[in-house]
Amino acid sequence: MNGSGTSLKRYAITRVVLVIPMVFILLTFVFLLMRVAPGNPISASLGGHVPQSVINQISHQLGYDKPILVQYKDYLWAILHGDLGSTITDRRTVSSIIEVNGAATLELTFFAMIIAIVVGVSVGLLAGRFRDTPVDAAGRVFGIVAYAMPVFFIGLLAQLFFGSYLNWLPISDQASPITQATLESHTNIMLVDAIIDRNWDAFWDVVRHLILPAFTLGLVFAGVFIRLVRVNVIRTMKDDYIEAARARGVNERSVVYHHAFRNALVPVVTVIGLQFALLLGGAVLTETTFNWPGIGHELLLYIQNRDYAAVQGIMIVFALVVVLISVAIDFVNAFIDPRVRY
Amino acid sequence: MRSKRLTWRVVGAVAVCALAAVAVTSSALARSSASSVLIDGTTDTVTNVDPAGNYDFGSFTVDELIFQHLLELAPGGKVVPGLAKSCSASANLKTWTCSLKTGIHFQNGDAFSSADVKWSFDRVIKIKDPSGISSLLSNLKSTSVAGPNRVVFHLTNPQSTWPFILTTGAGFIVPKGAYPADKLNPNTSAQYGTGPYQLVKYTSGQQAVFKAYNGSSVKAKTPNLIINYYSKSSTMKLAIQKGEIDMAFRDFTPTEYGSLGKASGIKVYTGNGVVIRYLVLNVKQKPFDNPAVRKAIAYLIPRQTIATRVYHGLVKPLWSMVPAGLPGHTDIFKTVYGSAPSKAKAAAVLKKAGVTTPVAVTLWWTPTHYGDASADEYAEIQRALNASGLFKVTLQSAEWATYSKTLGTQYGAFQLGWFPDYPDAEDYLLPFYGTKSNFTSNGYSSSAMDAILKREQGARTNAGRIATIKAAQVLSAKDVPIIPYWQGAMVAVGRKGVSGIPRTLDPTFIMRFWLISKS
Repeated sequence: MNGSGTSLKRYAITRVVLVIPMVFILLTFVFLLMRVAPGNPISASLGGHVPQSVINQISHQLGYDKPILVQYKDYLWAILHGDLGSTITDRRTVSSIIEVNGAATLELTFFAMIIAIVVGVSVGLLAGRFRDTPVDAAGRVFGIVAYAMPVFFIGLLAQLFFGSYLNWLPISDQASPITQATLESHTNIMLVDAIIDRNWDAFWDVVRHLILPAFTLGLVFAGVFIRLVRVNVIRTMKDDYIEAARARGVNERSVVYHHAFRNALVPVVTVIGLQFALLLGGAVLTETTFNWPGIGHELLLYIQNRDYAAVQGIMIVFALVVVLISVAIDFVNAFIDPRVRY
Repeated sequence: MRSKRLTWRVVGAVAVCALAAVAVTSSALARSSASSVLIDGTTDTVTNVDPAGNYDFGSFTVDELIFQHLLELAPGGKVVPGLAKSCSASANLKTWTCSLKTGIHFQNGDAFSSADVKWSFDRVIKIKDPSGISSLLSNLKSTSVAGPNRVVFHLTNPQSTWPFILTTGAGFIVPKGAYPADKLNPNTSAQYGTGPYQLVKYTSGQQAVFKAYNGSSVKAKTPNLIINYYSKSSTMKLAIQKGEIDMAFRDFTPTEYGSLGKASGIKVYTGNGVVIRYLVLNVKQKPFDNPAVRKAIAYLIPRQTIATRVYHGLVKPLWSMVPAGLPGHTDIFKTVYGSAPSKAKAAAVLKKAGVTTPVAVTLWWTPTHYGDASADEYAEIQRALNASGLFKVTLQSAEWATYSKTLGTQYGAFQLGWFPDYPDAEDYLLPFYGTKSNFTSNGYSSSAMDAILKREQGARTNAGRIATIKAAQVLSAKDVPIIPYWQGAMVAVGRKGVSGIPRTLDPTFIMRFWLISKS
């Protein structure tokens, strides 16, 4: 057997090194995009209220009238020194935004992903198992509708039905105002903070507030998993070893759940990691709909206010998270399947 | 197999019990919300709590709770003593001396004195925050102390309205020992003032939690206050309907107000407001450089239609840039252009000027700064102008960050709104009609108007000042570089059991949470 392909170590190094140009390209893109769009943070906040001379003076103070290449150089220099900067509008450090609001997004996306996996895999398995039956049809329709419907629309419907009409669940925020005001912040993840404080009233309050947004975001991605799992189950069910198992007298239930299902899930693991990037994007809309204080919610406000520093800083973190996750997924794939090499 | 079915049944039963526990626990949480906590919702945002670092309404609302001014605005707009017993001007109106109250302490225990006043004003100027708040003190040359209980303001130019400046966001008093001279006190640090509430917890973009400060001269009716921040008014509407918040101030759409007004257990309160909306015309750009065109538009603006159809009565027609209720206001545009749109008069003025009709014009508006109703507002203006046959209107819009940067530098006619720094006619005249102070970039410059405004600023008697304010309005209607069309009410929504809201709805537009209680 000759040595075709590289070793895992070399592959890993290559993938890590490639992260640098990927992030650099994204940073440059974000920098240019923010400056191409008309307006700057000063005119966005003061325009329509003070004379242009005041706006010009402040813009000069902050260096927005410098040549764009000079601004770019300053920006890269700060990044290289690990300085993600502070927002212009409310003077928060980007690292504190990541710490506080990132924790809220992590809480939401984590549970949304669990729901997406549980619902998506279960429904996809049933649809694949009972192919061409009403169960299959219902599962596929559900998957398509969940995936096609805009996440904010699902969120609004959920708020109106479960929150307003049935009055079962709260419709916004991470917790009730009293819980938010009184719960001590240890990790910025409210569920964990409530557990640390053994404040079970607060714990259940946070759980109740998490249900609607997590289900809203999770269902959209469940639609992706439903279709993927279904296709993989159907494909796997046609494999020779499945026929062999049936021929050996293994009952159908075991054939499906012990043989076909596990193998059908292997490609799904890869997709779960890749969907994480989209999950972050979906979180922006979900967080806005449910007033969830996550990083996506803040990003939207900063974009509207043309807060260059905030948007650039947050996008760097987003980029790093997505890139690192995709690299991690690549490692897992390369580890499992030696055919995956460069 | 059987054991697996049993396992799933047990899991199912546990899940049902957990959900039930959630439901039961939620009732316990709801009952535990004490009447000693008032929860307000708002779509405003807070930039910085430090008064030297903000120039937005959301931050001002928070600062009003924590800090105090030397002079305050009483309900109705009258300037009354705050931390100062009195303030008086020199004969030339360039030196203002304030005598301070004694025995006052900040929330950190520091005693209040003139040194704190000087510190507060000096740092606003020195920090010169990008928010632009220091522009309110552009006329302040220096601040000096004359003993522990007296402070003197030295102005560059005479200014009879200096007491109003002391009531603005630039005039909040902070303790010298707790606020740096040359940089902001970050939101993550403790904030100290002499106001009715102390800020006990602030989570950016989410919540501000306050506790009544018993050492303040202003006593709060409710011991605890929480302000919850929402990014969407629709979410806030659901929150107040469900009882998650007790009241909401700023801001709902007109349709949402209408819906809330019909909801059980909820009341919409309105009071006189001072927010205005107007159409700016670029006097250097065709066709608006022709006064006849501007006057014709003034004859056709459908004020009442906008107030009724678009805003469901929450605004009223405005006939002057100085809103009704402020001293010196006159309905000058009604006097000159009539109380109802008049196609005949508009046609006559265009014909007299030899203008060919229909006149093609583009009106600009923004969908992201003045609320969702802006689209309907401008649709009504377009409809009215087009229906006259004298104009052919094209509507264009731009998102606020783009729009605010552009204004009169490119737009010929554009929407703007105004919320005053202080509820005085001067703040509705200088920023629009003064050659140097006009921020709209619409090219308007009139030596006659500049002379009137200069006389207004230096007026030594109230009667003299009022006369100049009226003269400015007369000229504004004659030159018509701007057409005002509505004045908004101050609106707040409260659930049953919340009382005191009407007492704080007035032209000062200050939400005095300390006057509100909950049963």
